[in-house]
Amino acid sequence: MKAIKLERLQETLYTDVLPNGLQVFILPKQGFQKSYATFTTHYGSIDNHFQVEGSEPVRVPDGIAHFLEHKMFEEPDGDIFAKFSSQGASANAYTSFDRTAYLFSATEHIPENLETLLHFVQHPYFTDENVEKEKGIIEQEINMYQDNPSWRVYFGLIQALYHHHPVRIDIAGTTASIREINKDLLYTCYNTFYHPSNMILFVVGGVNPEEIMDLVRENQAKKSYPPQGKINRIFDEEPDEIHQQRNVHKLSVSMPKCMIGIKEQPLGTAGRELLQKECESKLLMDILFGPSSVIYQKLYDEHLITDQFGSEYNSNPGYAFSVIGGDTPDPDKFIARIQEEVERAKEQGIDEQSFERSRRKRIGGFLRMLNSPEAIANEFTRYRFREVDLFDLLPTYESITLEQVNRRLQEHFDWSKMAASIVEG
Amino acid sequence: MTQFERCNIGSIRLHVLPTDRFKTYALAVFIGQPLNEEWITAGALTPYVLRRGNRRYPETRSFRMKLDELYGAGFGFDISKRGDYQIAQFRLDIINDRFVNEGKSFLKEALQYVGETLTDPYVEGHGFKPVYVAQEKETLKRRIESLINDKIRYAAERCIEEMCKGDPYRLSPLGKLEHISNQSEETLYQYYQEWLNRSIIDVYVVGDTTLKETSQYIKEYFKIPERSQIEQDYRQTAYRSDTREVKRVTDRLDVTQGKLNMGFRAYATYSDEAYPAALMYNGILGGYPHSKLFVNVREKASLAYYAASRLDGHKGILTIQSGIEIKNKEKAAEIILKQIDAMKEGSITDLEIDQTRAMMTNQLREIQDSAFEMIGFDFNRVLSGTLNASVGEMIEAISRVDKNQIQQYAEKVELDTIYFLRNREGRAGDESNKA
Repeated sequence: MKAIKLERLQETLYTDVLPNGLQVFILPKQGFQKSYATFTTHYGSIDNHFQVEGSEPVRVPDGIAHFLEHKMFEEPDGDIFAKFSSQGASANAYTSFDRTAYLFSATEHIPENLETLLHFVQHPYFTDENVEKEKGIIEQEINMYQDNPSWRVYFGLIQALYHHHPVRIDIAGTTASIREINKDLLYTCYNTFYHPSNMILFVVGGVNPEEIMDLVRENQAKKSYPPQGKINRIFDEEPDEIHQQRNVHKLSVSMPKCMIGIKEQPLGTAGRELLQKECESKLLMDILFGPSSVIYQKLYDEHLITDQFGSEYNSNPGYAFSVIGGDTPDPDKFIARIQEEVERAKEQGIDEQSFERSRRKRIGGFLRMLNSPEAIANEFTRYRFREVDLFDLLPTYESITLEQVNRRLQEHFDWSKMAASIVEG
Repeated sequence: MTQFERCNIGSIRLHVLPTDRFKTYALAVFIGQPLNEEWITAGALTPYVLRRGNRRYPETRSFRMKLDELYGAGFGFDISKRGDYQIAQFRLDIINDRFVNEGKSFLKEALQYVGETLTDPYVEGHGFKPVYVAQEKETLKRRIESLINDKIRYAAERCIEEMCKGDPYRLSPLGKLEHISNQSEETLYQYYQEWLNRSIIDVYVVGDTTLKETSQYIKEYFKIPERSQIEQDYRQTAYRSDTREVKRVTDRLDVTQGKLNMGFRAYATYSDEAYPAALMYNGILGGYPHSKLFVNVREKASLAYYAASRLDGHKGILTIQSGIEIKNKEKAAEIILKQIDAMKEGSITDLEIDQTRAMMTNQLREIQDSAFEMIGFDFNRVLSGTLNASVGEMIEAISRVDKNQIQQYAEKVELDTIYFLRNREGRAGDESNKA
């Protein structure tokens, strides 16, 4: 077990890779009551077409990673939630574009709860009957999101930006696609992506690192996993162009919601380079559109945005796009004004002071995040799957220069790659 | 657990929890006044205007830049109703300066920022800055109207509104749409002064500090005029109704999913002896994934993704919420009410009691790992006049609750309102089609 001292953050991270390939990370938090653990596979909604070395390529229905997440909680002797409840742990799970996480938080019985977590995620139990039963539940989950305008406008944008890339698929799939899911397909996905070498265990909180590591090592030694070949994720060729300029949905809302986004050529690689670009882009978005920016204040004064206005930058080796928007009474005018103001910013360039302010803001945001065991575990894992160390964010933000952000400003806003998504009544 | 240390500074009650567990200072200010139709809208609008700037930073951009300079201190506000009160909460979350070596106290900066924002606003003539008031009136209006975008919240609020028709609790904490246009920069400023004078004010600080240090900053930056007679304690009254008949309300909107909500008279508030039993009741019924509602509505009948209950310990109201297929309304209602009956009949297993107790104990312990959760928990006690019930004592009280007490409590719970949000298509009786 390796101990990595993070002097500046006054934390120590313990880590090891087990013989079966599982990566384990432990971050003790002095004085904390609770422990929080995530057991995460590098498998999400975008992994719908894949091939394991030595076998045939497989294409699976939309929403299957999320379906699998639901089904993992079922065990022959009942629902695993009940077991966690008996041990005083609140358990949950979520599926994102590129990962599926299973988690619990508890203040007592940590070894038992950790064993339960490892056990249920490494023990699939799918029957024709329990798979059918789940469809009604997930259908209602899908319908709930169908009625959620914020979700609709966000996915509407990704669908307008991308022709083929599976990032455009709604994470839960559709009521039609989930009907195609059966027990065999679930086992295929499970056997491909839930191999320990594709997973990370993160434990944070009031724990003793040696004890936890011993427990996990012993637990894993009892199970046998044949070595797995490399997983090849297949993505269809994605054109540089956007799919659709404008994507409009009807829903009962008090005011239209509008998000615009710009599609960038993906980097194609993970690691430091990806982190550098992401940090530069996030700084840029904050400088341009944050609550203390010129554009925010102008558009607010013009009644074109509300205080729910925001922006983000989303990237992965296979995709990269920005998102800007919120509620607006006049989507066309809103889009035109954003373009005008960004053009003005491109002419003038970003000044040193705005840059410095946003940089501080992001550094502060990072430090504040470290109060939250949940955020540490989830963010660390997310970055790790992209071959990035979460704790490198701090030095990266500190070393970014104004020139780099100005260059990002010039290259990102290519309006021919812009799409708009609108939800209105 | 470390305890909050308290003192009074003028009309402000200060609560400080010295701890070095966090990398930040957490600050919260609660300003509470009784729910009243007459002033609730002004009470909601005032925080919106205050967040636009103060006398030191009259321009909104420079006011917000200050937060960026303090390493992105998170400043926000929230207006809610808790029992019979409208509560404006202001919070600020800022990193401890030991991580950045700036040579100044961030706690001092933070208290100055919040204190001046609340008590030394930017004023022109005899009122707030007209353009801020005009814009924030528009923002508040949009905010109230936007409730409809979130169907889960919409259904929950409509259910309470219908249930509490004759009680101030029917009011939205954001006030009334039709009262917004009446507000002018001068009337609002006048109102603001009265508000500061009549409200109950609690200031919380959690972080690496002391009561003494914090007191100094409060004295310096919270300039609240001396008041002779002030109400210092919150007094809550539980919801009551003499009607035996169940109210049934249906709203129609363009929705895919139906929302079935129910409101019950729960007759138990924080200060009641039966409160621990009521908490256990709620937990067994619908607080967790092992609870009756989750197991029976979701897992067994596959009717919903969510089905849960919630106990409002200030108002003594229990609510149930679920999202279902519209045609399944009667079926879902039947299963839900069957769980209520099961509780009354005492069909409660030892396992359910043990699981619920373990989950509640865990939740209570976890509070101590978050500065704002500790503040929230403590303020709840202030609100309900139960300041002496610590986390440990709550855990203790819950451990003593037995099945008998839960069943006795269950007998008191009465269905008051059934609310259904459905689509526009279809005939009125459609949802009760049992075919």
